[in-house]
Amino acid sequence: MELKERLRELCLINGVSGDEDRVREYILGYAEKYCTCRTDPLGSLICFKNGKKQGKSLMICAHMDEVGFIITYINSDGTLQLRPVGGVDTTAAIGKQVIVGDPGIPGVIGSTAIHNIPRSERGKIPGWDSLYIDIGAADREEAEKLISPGDCAYFDSDFTELGGGSGIKSKAIDDRAGCAMMMELMAEELEYDTYFVFNVQEEVGLRGSRASAVSVAPDFALVLESTTAGDIDGVQGAKRVCCLGGGAVVGFMDRSTVYDRELYRLAFDTAEEYGIPCQTKTMIAGGNDAGAIHVSAGGIRTLAVSVPTRYLHSASCVIKTEDLYSSYELVKRLAARIPEV
Amino acid sequence: MDITEAIIRLSETSGASGAEVGAAETALEMLREYCPDAYISKGNVIGIFPAAGENMPFVLLDAHIDQVGMIVTSVTDDGFVKFAGLGGLDERLLPAQPVVIHGKTDIRGVICSVPPHLSGDGDTVPDIASSAIDTGMTKDELEAAVAPGDAVTYDVRCRRLHGSRLTGRALDDRCGVAAILYAVSLLRENAPECGYGVVFSVQEELGERGARLAAYSLKPDIAIAVDVSFGLAPGEKAEKCGILGKGPMIGISPCLSREVSQGLFSAAKSLGIPYQTEVMEGLTSTNADQYSVGGTGAKACTLSIPLRNMHTPVEVIDTADVELTGRLLAEYIRMVKEGD
Repeated sequence: MELKERLRELCLINGVSGDEDRVREYILGYAEKYCTCRTDPLGSLICFKNGKKQGKSLMICAHMDEVGFIITYINSDGTLQLRPVGGVDTTAAIGKQVIVGDPGIPGVIGSTAIHNIPRSERGKIPGWDSLYIDIGAADREEAEKLISPGDCAYFDSDFTELGGGSGIKSKAIDDRAGCAMMMELMAEELEYDTYFVFNVQEEVGLRGSRASAVSVAPDFALVLESTTAGDIDGVQGAKRVCCLGGGAVVGFMDRSTVYDRELYRLAFDTAEEYGIPCQTKTMIAGGNDAGAIHVSAGGIRTLAVSVPTRYLHSASCVIKTEDLYSSYELVKRLAARIPEV
Repeated sequence: MDITEAIIRLSETSGASGAEVGAAETALEMLREYCPDAYISKGNVIGIFPAAGENMPFVLLDAHIDQVGMIVTSVTDDGFVKFAGLGGLDERLLPAQPVVIHGKTDIRGVICSVPPHLSGDGDTVPDIASSAIDTGMTKDELEAAVAPGDAVTYDVRCRRLHGSRLTGRALDDRCGVAAILYAVSLLRENAPECGYGVVFSVQEELGERGARLAAYSLKPDIAIAVDVSFGLAPGEKAEKCGILGKGPMIGISPCLSREVSQGLFSAAKSLGIPYQTEVMEGLTSTNADQYSVGGTGAKACTLSIPLRNMHTPVEVIDTADVELTGRLLAEYIRMVKEGD
C-alpha cells in the first residue's frame, strides 16, 4: 500500500491514549507478515525483524495513541461531561463533531451560545466545565443505554486532500504518520536487525515508551513523530519553529530531550548526501517519546525525525505530502546507518 | 414531505449572508413543488398563494435563507486567506475549523490555529482579524481561484443524532425554511380561506435586511417570523430557552401582536400539540421586528424552533419540533378569518 493511503487508513482509526486496541489490531495484522510480534503489558506492540547484518541494536518507534476525550459523567438532561485526553485546547474541541464509545455514537461538542455569554466574558477561552457532548439523548436514561462514563470520544474528521493533493488534512496525523512510516519500512529489506515499537500513552506523559524502551533496551532509538509547525499567517522567523514544505524535521533539543549530537549530525549529513529536504527546529518547543527513551535502560542514544504539522492536537492537522515522503526517505537511510555509529 | 431529508439538503447547501444564491435556488426548487410560480426577487425567495375568499387578510410566513459565515478580504503573500465575519460568529471555535471558500470552485481549507508555544498562557481566543485560512495553495494558485468578497462557510455534514435530533450548520434558519415548506404541503391538502405567502429572506444575520424589502413589497396584514431560539443546554438559563422536542416557541413581546400570539396558542390547543412560550421584553432580533413596522405595518409574531449551539457548525435541533411548527402554522392559517 502506498504511504499516503496507509496514513489515511491509520488516521481514520479511533484510538486515544489508553484505548489503542483498534490501532494495534490494524498494525498487528500487517506486521505479523514481516516481523516477530508481541504486545507488552501496557499494550505497546513490539515487532522484531532481522536485517542482513547483526550490529548494534536499533529501535524505531512511534506512538499509536491520538488526543481525544473521555466521558466523565452523564448529566440528567442526557448530555455528557467530558475531559481531554492529552493536550487539547477547548477552542479545538468546541463546535466539533465527535464519535463516542465503541458503538460509535455520533455527537457534537457544544457550549453556551455566544449570544448568551456576557460581553465581558466573550473572547475568553472557555473552560472544560462549560463544554458538553450532545448525542441527542433526551435524558440520562436514554444516554445510559448508549454510552457509559469512561468511554472515549474521538474527533470525527475526514481525511481530505488540500491544495489539489499537495496537502493533507486529518485528525490523528500525530502520530499515525510515524506508524505509517514504520509499517512501510518493515516491509523493506533491512540492513540491520531492527525493533519496530508502536507505543501507547504518549499523549498522557510518554508512558508506553518508558516501559517498552526498557524491555527492548536497544543501543539506539529513532523516534518518528509529527511536530508543531508554526509557519502560519502573521508568524515570522524563529517562531515558525519549522515549516511545511521544508522536509523532515530533526531537532537538536526540545522540552524533554537534548538529542545525541552524533546522530543529529548523521541525519543532516545523510540528508545532504541523498538530497533529502531536512530542517531543524528554530525554537526549543514540543517533546515526544524520546524524552522517556533516552534516559531508559541506563541510557539509549536517541534521535527523532518528525513530519512538520500545523494545528497539531486538533481535528484538522495539516501536512504537506512531500514532507511525509522526505521524512520516510531519511528514516530509511538512517536505519541503514545508525547501527554503524 | 420528509422533513429530515429536507433539512439535511438545505443545511448542506451554502448561503452565507449576502451570498445566498445556492441555498435560495435549492429552497426555490423545493417551494415550486407546491407553488409553481414561486420566484426570486432581490435575493428573497417568494411564493404567493392567493385567497380563496374576498377581503381576507394576507398572511406572510418568513424564514431567513442566509447563514452566518465569513467573507474573503485578501490573500497574503504566504498564501493565507484573510477574512471578516458575516453575522455573529462564535470566535471561540474558529481555530482549526474546516471551512469551504466559495471561489470560482469550492476550495476546502482550515482556519489557522496558533500553536501553544506562541499562544503562551493567554486566556483570550484569537480575534477574526488575526485569523486566516490555510488552503494548502500558493498565493498564485489562490489569486486565480479566490477573490475578495467570496463567501466562506463551515465545512461540515448535517447528520442524525440519537432519536429525532439532528446536527449541522445553518439549521438557523434552514429548519425554519423546512417548517414552512411542510406547512405549505399541509395547506395544499386543505386550502385555507385567507391568502398567504412565503418568503425565504436574505441577510437576516446582517440586520434583517431582506425582510425589510419583503415587508415593503408584499404588504402582509399578518407576518410570522419562523426562526430558531435558544434550546436549553448546560450553561444556558431556563428562562431564556425552549426545550428541544417540547414543541415550537410562541413569542410574546411588546413589539409583537398579542392577537397573533393568542391565535397561535389557540391553533396549538385546537391541534392538541405541545408548545412553549417565549417571552421577550422588547425587540425579538428576528425578522418579525421588520415586518411589524415595515411598509405601513403588520401584525407580527415569532414562532421559534429551539436550537442548541446557535451560529456554530454543530447546531442541534429536534426534527419533531420542526414538524410541530409546520402543523401549527398550517392550522393557524386555516383559522384566520376576515378582519384578523
